[in-house]
Amino acid sequence: MSMRRSWWSGVVLVMVVLAAACGGDGEPEPTDPSEPPQTPEPAPPSPPAPPAPPEPPAPPPDGLALNITGGGHNVTERFTSDLWVHGRYAYTGTWGGFPREGNPGNALKIWALDASGAPNLADSLILPGVGTVSDVEVSADGAVLMLSAERGTRNGLYLYDLANPAKPTLLDSVHVAEGLHTATFGEIGGRRYAFTARNPGSTALTIFDVTDPSDIEAAASVPIPPTYGIHDTYVRDGLAFVFAWDAGVIIYDVGNGIRGGSPESPVEVSRLVTSDNGVGSPAVHNGWWFHNPVTNEARYLFIGQEGPSQIGLSASGDIHVVDVSDLAHPREVASFRLAGAGAHNFWMDEAAQVLYAAYYNGGVIALDVSGTLSGDLSSRLIGQVRFGGDTFTWGVMLANGWLYASDMLSGLWQIEVEP
Amino acid sequence: LGLALVAAAGPIESQERVRAHVAAHAVAALTRVDPGPGGAELTELRLVQPALMVRLAGPARLSLLATLDLEGATMAEGELALGAWGEGFVDRRHPHTYVHELLLTADDLLGRADGVARISVSAGKGFAPFGTDDPMSRPVLRYPVNHHLAQVLERAVVIAAVTQGPLTAELGLFNGDEPERPGHWPRLGRVGDSWSVRLTGRPLPGVELQASRAHVHSAENRAGAGPDQGKWSLSARWAGPVGGRQVYGLVEWARTSEADGFFVFPSLLAEGAWTAGRHRLHYRFERTERPEEERVSRFRTLRPDLENSILGITRWSIHTAGWSAVVLERGGATLAPLVELSYGRIAEVGGGLFDVRQVYGRTNAWSWTLGFRLAYGGGPHRMGRYGSALPVEMPHQHRGEP
Repeated sequence: MSMRRSWWSGVVLVMVVLAAACGGDGEPEPTDPSEPPQTPEPAPPSPPAPPAPPEPPAPPPDGLALNITGGGHNVTERFTSDLWVHGRYAYTGTWGGFPREGNPGNALKIWALDASGAPNLADSLILPGVGTVSDVEVSADGAVLMLSAERGTRNGLYLYDLANPAKPTLLDSVHVAEGLHTATFGEIGGRRYAFTARNPGSTALTIFDVTDPSDIEAAASVPIPPTYGIHDTYVRDGLAFVFAWDAGVIIYDVGNGIRGGSPESPVEVSRLVTSDNGVGSPAVHNGWWFHNPVTNEARYLFIGQEGPSQIGLSASGDIHVVDVSDLAHPREVASFRLAGAGAHNFWMDEAAQVLYAAYYNGGVIALDVSGTLSGDLSSRLIGQVRFGGDTFTWGVMLANGWLYASDMLSGLWQIEVEP
Repeated sequence: LGLALVAAAGPIESQERVRAHVAAHAVAALTRVDPGPGGAELTELRLVQPALMVRLAGPARLSLLATLDLEGATMAEGELALGAWGEGFVDRRHPHTYVHELLLTADDLLGRADGVARISVSAGKGFAPFGTDDPMSRPVLRYPVNHHLAQVLERAVVIAAVTQGPLTAELGLFNGDEPERPGHWPRLGRVGDSWSVRLTGRPLPGVELQASRAHVHSAENRAGAGPDQGKWSLSARWAGPVGGRQVYGLVEWARTSEADGFFVFPSLLAEGAWTAGRHRLHYRFERTERPEEERVSRFRTLRPDLENSILGITRWSIHTAGWSAVVLERGGATLAPLVELSYGRIAEVGGGLFDVRQVYGRTNAWSWTLGFRLAYGGGPHRMGRYGSALPVEMPHQHRGEP
């Protein structure tokens, strides 16, 4: 009998130890991702919008011709990543998820724009220890160039002086071991901040005070669920929209006042997990909060869904439209799908009510976003351009009356938008 | 659940005494690969597949199976293996977790109440009822490229199996997340987010036909943000005597579809072994497609991933042939030198950024291994089947034995 008892005891002990060793996850459950598109009810946007315009908005033209006018096939030794254009110069990053001609993505390309707006490579800045220059932005006053870096040993945030925009000089940098996927400027309360997306390992919205760009100071770090984590942030009117993959979009008050938050102490306003549309997951990647100057509304938040992709070949993911007229209760109201392609970064011509989206293997598209948005927006597609057979477009930006696009495979392009 | 199984097994008074079976296994292997990633030849000596297996056949219908795997100590950085991938490793086969299997099984739960049927329930850590036996319990030393397409391993599982006559049906619930380190445990909070079913028929002695289907949630992202996988497997296995020699053969087809079919990775594999006295010859051919993920070093991929993208898909067509012979047999232990030679071709499938020549320098590769296998108690059992899913006449069947 003693042997039987000891066998039973052993079995029970083993199972108890196994259960204890495994532990739980303790991660928050996502909210319901499957809210059907609805026509939103009128509600005052925040910040308070002026009275409604007396006349109906003028819609964009039925079609836009996106004509390639310059650039292209101008970066062949590395894969191109993000872009920013300011004044007569443009800057593009490089991506190092796979070496091209043996090179990592450790270069910043500096482009001089000629009188016609066409980009000409002026210089390249090599960042030792960086694997990918993942995001590029110039401050609104044109004084500071900001880069985020990942996939290397010297990952983090880099700030450069643009006194000579052709020769950026390093002002300060901060090392972030996990790497930063994106960095976005935000001007709040007379100070300048960098809102950065810290990579898995310690996923967080990490905010730096960069008012003095030669002395970057940590302001706050807000953990983000590690369901891939945070990919991008959009900052406007004291609100930070954090695009957090399967955790959806999370809205923080970082100085707007509706929740008493600040860049040093962000306060969550609300969150929403957008639908996966059969792509496999919500994959909330990037966004743009549309301030419509025609209707004086700030009603729609456009979200890019980065679905599965085979880089350089195929991609998936839609554009989702969220009604944020009630910031505390955002609602998904519409979506757009470009068959066989996947959404990436956005830019908007707000005055024209046109959303431009880089669409990886789909090139660049233009979407009419005037009026009320509801349901399937496929009829709103008014323009598209691809860059030949090798198209995998990362980003797009409107500047100086031209559209510029960075393509991973073929570099920086200049595009004319013709009504 | 373990306590529930104990309770279901019946009163203690009716139980019998414990019977124990202990087995052990390890292979000292000198392996050379030409080329490895980066284009250079690589040679290394490792102790691979060191495992200790204990099966306690408890009172009446209860049994406990434990397999301790020490690869985390002997090959923490993986085993050099042409085309291998999974669990964050690439071109090196990953080390298994220290606790490879730990399962409590209540077999033939209903006794004679269900006639000749055997119903069993198993719970613990082990293989989900999907696909074919773990390669460790098969004749070829080198793990196939399709390991993560054809098996679902090291999960917290609850498996119900019913066998009646020549047919067995299994249903398993488990956690989708795969381990990333030898010390990783399954995430208990995810148990039940994935499932599998397997049907097995044994129409003739030694012949086993299998079909299985699995749905695995976020296998490669432990937090749960990865895409789901739909997996299929079909196989025919035969083990038996031919002309007085033991012969083993397996043909399998496996297919994994990820992200609602955005990615599809098929595999076809055939292998066999012929044993004459102390000598055994074996051969395998496989053609398997694998994802090419972003690498953070020559042999490691990014974990956790940043997004759902891959760089491309490659097809690996590999022939492997080998010989081994038992040269020493004493007290239940055997020592068998072995030699194995592989030749493979690598091809890009579709498109994408991945460039085989850039990574390997060429599109074909050789590999050889010299070593010796030390086994005790028969070596590894058939890993991947528990309770009534194991043929009653061969509960401790080993490598290619009938």
